[in-house]
Amino acid sequence: MTQTFTCGDHGALVSYLYDECDPNERRAISAHVAVCGGCAEEIASLGATRELLGTWSPPDAQLGFRVVSDTPRSVSDTPRSVSNVLRPSRWWQRPMPAWAQAAAAAAIFATGVTLGALRGATATAGAPASNAQGSNVTLSAMPTAAVTPGDLSALEQRLRTELSQMRNTNGPATASAGDAQIFERVRTMIQDSEQRQQRELALRTAEIVRDFDAQRQGDLTRIERAMGQMDGTTGVEVAQQRQMLNYLMRVSQRGQ
Amino acid sequence: MTLTDDELVAKSVGGDAESFNQLILRWERPIYALAYRVIGREEDARDVCQETFLRAFRALPGFKGQAKFSSWLYRIALNLCRDWIRRQRRAPVMQMPEGVDPGELAAERGPVESIEELVSRRELSAVVEEAMALLPEEQRTAIILKEYHGMTFQEIADMQGCPLSTVKTRLYQGLTVLRRHLEKNGQMTPQLVKRK
Repeated sequence: MTQTFTCGDHGALVSYLYDECDPNERRAISAHVAVCGGCAEEIASLGATRELLGTWSPPDAQLGFRVVSDTPRSVSDTPRSVSNVLRPSRWWQRPMPAWAQAAAAAAIFATGVTLGALRGATATAGAPASNAQGSNVTLSAMPTAAVTPGDLSALEQRLRTELSQMRNTNGPATASAGDAQIFERVRTMIQDSEQRQQRELALRTAEIVRDFDAQRQGDLTRIERAMGQMDGTTGVEVAQQRQMLNYLMRVSQRGQ
Repeated sequence: MTLTDDELVAKSVGGDAESFNQLILRWERPIYALAYRVIGREEDARDVCQETFLRAFRALPGFKGQAKFSSWLYRIALNLCRDWIRRQRRAPVMQMPEGVDPGELAAERGPVESIEELVSRRELSAVVEEAMALLPEEQRTAIILKEYHGMTFQEIADMQGCPLSTVKTRLYQGLTVLRRHLEKNGQMTPQLVKRK
């Protein structure tokens, strides 16, 4: 099918210019342009305009946005807080500035000191209790970890001695009942001690985790704040430079 | 192996933030360039670019692949640019600080040669930018989408929500205004026109 082109059909000229017309239309326009000086000039000048448009490039910008997510979550989760904050990419991979290195070192040192202090407190809390309350209550006052096999053997030996004395005094019938009671008491004491130890351990672990988390949060906040200040400073500088460039270009254009 | 946009979108919807970061890496430059050319301010274009990806990330579960991911991103960015332009109409786009003489300021910036170098390097680009700023928003956007983002007439029509013939008219009228401005500024040399 042959197609005709009407001189002055701007839509068709634009299709031809951008090479977005079917082959028949293209042929028809080409044939017309070959004989029509006005349309040929129009096509040439619009093509030249397009060429000049190619010289316009946007200024370089610091992009590198990233979705920052500290925990893997589904995108369908709502609401979102900091997980969808876009930040300049890989800031954490850049060489760490001196102040950040110092902050990290201080955080590690503080964590170490905290752990050391906690351990020291544990040791000193157990020792006076055993010293002050005498040998009869040592087992219940001290954590299980402080009870050595030797202590248990000594206790067993003492209990056996007491039992044999009781046997000698009260006869076989009462001795058997006394053995059972004593063993029951010892078992209860050991169980109580173990439970206390577990509670204490859980409590201290939670304290350490909480302290560490608080320290980490504090460090992160300080780092974020410092980075925000740096970003702000850079932004102001860029704005000033751009403003300066505008002035220079205006001045230059005035001179022409 | 390079994943397609659709594959990265599917992984992002499944909760893989790194896949979305790859999409950002792939599309942030074109989106920034679009925003800069439409609104003409570097910092604001950067903000528009960032906001585009934030909105896309939030709306990702609702993206059903009815359009190309890039077209969807462009549409979000263009809507943001339109919002920005609407807001800016109430405020002057360029403000000259009071009591500052640009001539004095330029003199303080160093030898004349470096200024000339700087200006000559940017002159042509600036003239084109200036000419583009003269166009109505619809014509400017149509030309930007066509010239710098290689969209088809139909894609631009979908993006701008207008008939295909309107897109062609906008392109023609926009190019004509640009040509006149460039001719007036001495950029349209006969050699350049003849080469075509």
